[in-house]
Amino acid sequence: MGPWMSGSLQGYIFVALLLFIIGLATVLLRRTLLMQFMGVELMLNAANVALLAFARFRGGDVAGTVFYLFILGVAACEAAIGLALVIALFRHRKTTDADRADSLRQ
Amino acid sequence: MFLLFALITIIGALAMFQQKNVIVAGLCLVLTFFGVAGLFLMLSNPVAAALQIIVYSGAIMVLVLFTIMLLNSHEEEPALQPRPFQRWTGALLLAVFGAFALRLVAGSKALVDLNKAAQPVGGMNLARVGEEIFRNYLLGFEVIGLLLLAAMVGAVALTKKEL
Repeated sequence: MGPWMSGSLQGYIFVALLLFIIGLATVLLRRTLLMQFMGVELMLNAANVALLAFARFRGGDVAGTVFYLFILGVAACEAAIGLALVIALFRHRKTTDADRADSLRQ
Repeated sequence: MFLLFALITIIGALAMFQQKNVIVAGLCLVLTFFGVAGLFLMLSNPVAAALQIIVYSGAIMVLVLFTIMLLNSHEEEPALQPRPFQRWTGALLLAVFGAFALRLVAGSKALVDLNKAAQPVGGMNLARVGEEIFRNYLLGFEVIGLLLLAAMVGAVALTKKEL
């Protein structure tokens, strides 16, 4: 258990994996759309942690940080569009529950 | 220090997962983002840590909390049907996926080698990142700008009552 507890590469990948699993669990098991959205953010963060951990252990690769910036931009776009969709759904159906929004017709 | 930030990250995520109140869940997610920023500091990458706090815990979470308060739906609505089969299948598949992924990480020879070959690195700074972006990834930079513009227009179009 020694190398896992200090800041080794395995430790970071382990944390990233746990974050991804918790995010996936939130998306699969919670019904509120806003909670599911937060789960997606958690999964994106898990990818970021793994990306930057590999970049550091490959000798401080700068490309890792550049791709982190790109992921950040995509996450911001996703937040804007996702929340706009939730607001539009709430305006039509008065709900933020994924189970209550399973029909395409009004 | 690594253990502290890792614990903050994981505990924040778990608290968000089991929280019934959506606003409190959002605040737990902010805690997680701060933990992740700490992990980035431990990876000697202060640029990413600062961006994480500014963009994620700043901009994105403010947007999410603002939407929650705007919709005034703090609590999870009661379920239409219980759907026990779907929930248990989901949990089971998740457990299987997690177990296999953890085994892969624990048994990976390449990770051990990469860890052993690691040398101390200097901290990341903005000058290096900027040079890399504008020298090698200029197209990606332009595309991200275009994507942000498209998302902005799309968000306005989606929330507008009638266009």
